[in-house]
Amino acid sequence: MVDGVKDEASPDVAGVRVVPVSTQGLLRIGARPGLAEYLRQIWRHRAFIVYDARARVSSGNRRDRLGSAWMILNPVLNGLTYYLIFGLLLNTSKGIENFIGYLIIGVFLFQLSARAITNGARSMQVNKAVIQAFNFPRATLPISVNVREILASVPVLITMLILVLLFPPTEDITWRWVLLIPALFLQSVFNLGVGLILARMISRINDITHLLGFGLRVWMYASAVFFSYERFIDHPRLLAIVELNPLFNVLDIVRDCVLYATLPSWESWAILSVWAFGMLALGIVFFWKGEESYGRE
Amino acid sequence: MAGSKYRHSDGVTRPTVVVRDVSMRYHVPSTEAQHVPGRGGPSSLARKVLGRAPLVPVDALNRLSLVAEHGESIGIVGRNGSGKSTLMRLISGQSRPTGGAVYASSVPVMLGVNAALVPELSGDHNIVLGCLAMGLTRAEIDDKFASIVDLSGLEKAIHLPMRSYSSGMSSRLRFAIAASVDPEILLIDEALNTGDAQFRERSKERMDELRAKAGSVFLVSHSLSTIKEMCTRTLWLDRGDLLMDGDPESVTQAYLEYTRHLTKGNNETAARLRDEARGSLTVTEVEARESRRRRA
Repeated sequence: MVDGVKDEASPDVAGVRVVPVSTQGLLRIGARPGLAEYLRQIWRHRAFIVYDARARVSSGNRRDRLGSAWMILNPVLNGLTYYLIFGLLLNTSKGIENFIGYLIIGVFLFQLSARAITNGARSMQVNKAVIQAFNFPRATLPISVNVREILASVPVLITMLILVLLFPPTEDITWRWVLLIPALFLQSVFNLGVGLILARMISRINDITHLLGFGLRVWMYASAVFFSYERFIDHPRLLAIVELNPLFNVLDIVRDCVLYATLPSWESWAILSVWAFGMLALGIVFFWKGEESYGRE
Repeated sequence: MAGSKYRHSDGVTRPTVVVRDVSMRYHVPSTEAQHVPGRGGPSSLARKVLGRAPLVPVDALNRLSLVAEHGESIGIVGRNGSGKSTLMRLISGQSRPTGGAVYASSVPVMLGVNAALVPELSGDHNIVLGCLAMGLTRAEIDDKFASIVDLSGLEKAIHLPMRSYSSGMSSRLRFAIAASVDPEILLIDEALNTGDAQFRERSKERMDELRAKAGSVFLVSHSLSTIKEMCTRTLWLDRGDLLMDGDPESVTQAYLEYTRHLTKGNNETAARLRDEARGSLTVTEVEARESRRRRA
């Protein structure tokens, strides 16, 4: 160090030369584009999204010896745990028709959301190197995470349906099974919306990562994954409120279609759609507002 | 002294980069707690309770304006911590300045030497991914793919996951990816000094090509001979201040003299040289004729 004292901005220079510059035709570097232009940029990067998603599906579990099998083993083992605790020990299965099927659908579908939301939320940190290396709309990263989760969920869902068919009482395959597709689509849209919001929050305050696991667990217990609301909640208004839970509505729709051969109520579809598209709209706007901040050290 | 040969005519014609009143201040945790003038308040108290070091402001770059014109190659010299890399990051858009703004005629491309991109993906996947992120189409990537692999010199290792690469290998790959587009504004941060002799040779060739095509080049290097060889204009930064802005020959010479005195321990002479340089500098003020801003 030459001297300890820091000289102030510039009282001591020889002179000032004023350069007139027209900023017309120049773009401000790092500036956030308007929302419409931002969405257009995301669309132009669709090849990036798809490539990123597909490349990472295959590399996701590469460090584990059993590789992608963990995608299926994980919910199976979880389901087994919950079956032992809730089904056999605590006997929450009382009053639920085909409890094993009920539990399988709950555990598998909850896991899809939990994974998608966690990975979406962490996408800014995980991809810091890519973000700092290239200029592209950052929202493509959470989107690609969710596309990846959708691709990876196909074998998981097939396993889920096979398990439902394997365990007695055996369910018939009806045309209603097709309704799984729109239900899971809405679930994914919802996951993306939540992921976008959390991604910005975590990139700003890392501590939220620690809370995410707790939040997800609370959400799981509040979503009738391994028991039904009716058994524990007597108050009708409280019941109405907890039944607004988007994940509960996904589970309800899928269980109606797969297990109980009933057509899901339109209310369930309405509630789920409002959640999904509302969350997506909120998520995109919230994430876009922080667009200039994600590359920061 | 301050770059008389490179004086702009008063009606600026084709600026590629305009840095306007830009400054950068970081807040970083410091263990030098007791010497920091107490900034009371609830947040610093909270940090104390949580056992975290107090934050101190660090001025990485003091207010600075700069206009780069088409055809200029601008070298930046300075000691470690002088603000060279900060300035580059601001121009490339990786960081946002705490004050002021950077304008450019197109999105600048930075050739840096950072580590892996997506560590769990193989090198070839990273190439495609990086090119897609830069906005190339699949057809363009297919065209360039072979030349990127070739430039990176990774050969068979291109199929291995990037986390298995040495730091030299991954910076070579990054360089090759970034150098695959022909940017109008090119930022080079020490990229020349990576890799073995063979890679240096190849990267220099590619760099010369890019430089020939690019509108403006910014080059940060500790190699003064590189600066003199490649640049038409040179900036000297020291502890966040711009000290000189002029022709490479005189700026590098002044900088060299300054560092020599520092190494010998002649701190007073060095400080005098620094003041002299700063004292004879004509600083640029950008007067923006505001017009409707084009979105990026």
